[in-house]
Amino acid sequence: MPTADDIETADRLTRRRARMLPVLAIIFLTQQASYFASVVEDGTRTVDHVKIGAWLVLSIVMLLALTTGGFWFKPARIRALMDDEVTRANRTEGFRIGFLAAMISAIVLYFVTLFEPVSGREAIHIVMTVGLAAALLRFGSLERRALKDG
Amino acid sequence: MAERLSNRLHDLRAERDLTQAALAELVGVSRKTINTVENGIFIPSTLLALKLARALGRPVEEIFSLDD
Repeated sequence: MPTADDIETADRLTRRRARMLPVLAIIFLTQQASYFASVVEDGTRTVDHVKIGAWLVLSIVMLLALTTGGFWFKPARIRALMDDEVTRANRTEGFRIGFLAAMISAIVLYFVTLFEPVSGREAIHIVMTVGLAAALLRFGSLERRALKDG
Repeated sequence: MAERLSNRLHDLRAERDLTQAALAELVGVSRKTINTVENGIFIPSTLLALKLARALGRPVEEIFSLDD
């Protein structure tokens, strides 16, 4: 059974996570904006590889944090408390919204390609970014609501 | 069909002089879980409802009821 200290630590970390999630989503979106503003021409320059690599690493980290709840170096009992029923329900809702956003962006991109060429890499970039950011924002907002004292 | 689940968790917890954190410790969940169930934001699983009932020493139907 968790101790009072475990409950307090989990509560503090859960609040920190709820504050961090929207900030991470905004950082993630901002990084994509700078990527598209500089337009990676053919993606063969070293700097392009670095940019794409950085985006891919950040995307994987975000996805893992969203899926597992993050705080990987904390004790298992604290992480279990932070991954309770409410968190799992909020995460599921976040994934639902993220999936929906990704599908909508894919549909929009499909129509855009009828008038403007979009490379496969750009399309994947947009769909992943929109899906991940939407999931992060939804999960974060639900977690913040859950932490409000009623 | 009843659409909402009411609960007396706050009152029963107060009767026993328990804080949300203390009840969370007894049940083995986070304080957030107790808070969201109390506020009706989250409908607990059967397992959690039974754990809450055991921790408060009351039958489940005394804690949770359908809003008819």
